[in-house]
Amino acid sequence: MAKNEAITQRKKKEKKDPVNIIAPLVVLAIIYVGLEIGLRVFDVPAYVMPTPTNILIGTIKSFDIILPDLLFTIKIICIGFCIAIPAGIVLAALFSQFDIIVKAMQPVVIWLVITPMITLIPLMTLWLGTDPNLRVIVVIIQATPIICLNTLNGFIHVEQEKLEFAKSIGASKFETFIHITFMNALPQVFTGIKLGCIFSTIGAVSADFVSRGMGLGDRIIKFLKYSNFEQSYGCIVLIALIGISLYTIVSAIEKRIVLWKK
Amino acid sequence: MANKVFSVKEISKSFGSEKNGNYMEVIKNISMDIYEKEFIVILGNSGCGKSTYLKILGGIESATTGSMELNGENIGACIPPEKLKKFGFVFQNNNLLPWRTAEGNLRIMLKIMKLKGEQWEKRIDEMLEIVGLLDYKKVYPHELSGGMKQRVGIARALVHDPDILILDQPLGALDAITRKMLSYELLNIWKKTQKTIVMVTNNVDEAILLANRIFVLSNKPAVITHEIEVDIPVEERNTMIGQNARYNELREQINNIIRATR
Ligand SMILES: Nc1ncnc2c1ncn2[C@@H]1O[C@H](COP(=O)(O)OP(=O)(O)OP(=O)(O)O)[C@@H](O)[C@H]1O
Ligand SMILES: [Mg+2]
Repeated sequence: MAKNEAITQRKKKEKKDPVNIIAPLVVLAIIYVGLEIGLRVFDVPAYVMPTPTNILIGTIKSFDIILPDLLFTIKIICIGFCIAIPAGIVLAALFSQFDIIVKAMQPVVIWLVITPMITLIPLMTLWLGTDPNLRVIVVIIQATPIICLNTLNGFIHVEQEKLEFAKSIGASKFETFIHITFMNALPQVFTGIKLGCIFSTIGAVSADFVSRGMGLGDRIIKFLKYSNFEQSYGCIVLIALIGISLYTIVSAIEKRIVLWKK
Repeated sequence: MANKVFSVKEISKSFGSEKNGNYMEVIKNISMDIYEKEFIVILGNSGCGKSTYLKILGGIESATTGSMELNGENIGACIPPEKLKKFGFVFQNNNLLPWRTAEGNLRIMLKIMKLKGEQWEKRIDEMLEIVGLLDYKKVYPHELSGGMKQRVGIARALVHDPDILILDQPLGALDAITRKMLSYELLNIWKKTQKTIVMVTNNVDEAILLANRIFVLSNKPAVITHEIEVDIPVEERNTMIGQNARYNELREQINNIIRATR
């Protein structure tokens, strides 16, 4: 009897609430229709904001031009992001081993997070221009500190009692880190990675703006030059979609791994 | 009483240093001989140093001075890592790992202590059975009630088949009814598993129900002020113990001692 009770409880939690999916879609539809009507009623010129339908049509028409840039930007973001995750976590793990380094590095990491990397990019153009793929570095510089900061925060806030438990069973320093410190920080690690999605996207597009020639950021400016406002906006939407997709993937993985959060 | 399994010789523990002005002696010259299958209960006021003493016995802290003897072998002021298998520790606030299921919390003990094989796997189920939670083996701690969490904590401390079970106010955080129920359960676990138990409590009734010897500690720095034999036969220790004349006599005596403890 008790068993059934426990199992139904879990089932209930696992079952997806359709409201969670439908509600945002409804909001999206309302925004779409609202913009479409609003922009037409007030006769807003296309260079301020084209209507959603025109954006859609324009983007689909020019999709063959956009596609290489889209793929390039996805590549830059994904490679940068995939390097930034382990880099952020490993750096946090190293820092957390020594109290002094935590004290010394935490402000540095915060400075790195706060400093908009876009300000550094003009300085990097000299060598960034040599190979477009080097834009990965901008993504890494942009995303690693935020992942590192959140992870470090999780690593250094472990309950004393949990460490005492590890000690009472004779866990080595490494075992304690893996089984206690890391697991304890996992929710924060995911928060860092989710923020990293956003920062990676920002990094990739800002690199495009500055060093040009390729990528969705570059494509936005090119379209603008020829007054193709619909396509410019289309690229912006695509950039947002890349960010949202990454975020959604990370959230889905988090839900499968972090099962213990209420 | 058969053989002496554990013996504590003149153990003291202090924190801080005189130089910094935060020197504090928490326990002072505590000696205790513990025989096989004994149920020792330690009584003392809040903050007197009970947890500190148990942490030394459990290998979490080392004593400042004094030594310990395990099965006749001198092991010094701190339990060496390879001897930790002989102890099972139940923490004051269950201290389960929230990212592991009930079963997972037991399994980590075996993993860290490198106890592999069929018989240990089976023991996980056996121990959860003993505390009556076999049906909840796949449930995370946040889905368990306070009493259930504490029972998982007890199962966890037993899973590696230790010689000595150390319990730090295992029932302290529970409501009165659950507490009473679990104290009888603890008595049954002791009868079933035939372990040597050292337990801290602040509840006199619980102490007399369970203990065969009670030690009363003074306030900080803690010294042993009284040692009381509880000469009530095991058969008479059940829900009817309240009608036992000897029980009431002891209860009166210990309450008087505690009232006078400063
Ligand atoms: N790591 C530590 N550093 C400094 N002081 C400590 C430390 N651990 C415990 N103390 C001090 O030792 C004293 C005894 O603490 P302890 O936790 O052993 O008390 P206790 O008897 O278990 O109390 P309670 O019944 O409330 O759990 C307290 O005054 C506490 O402040
Ligand atoms: Mg305590």
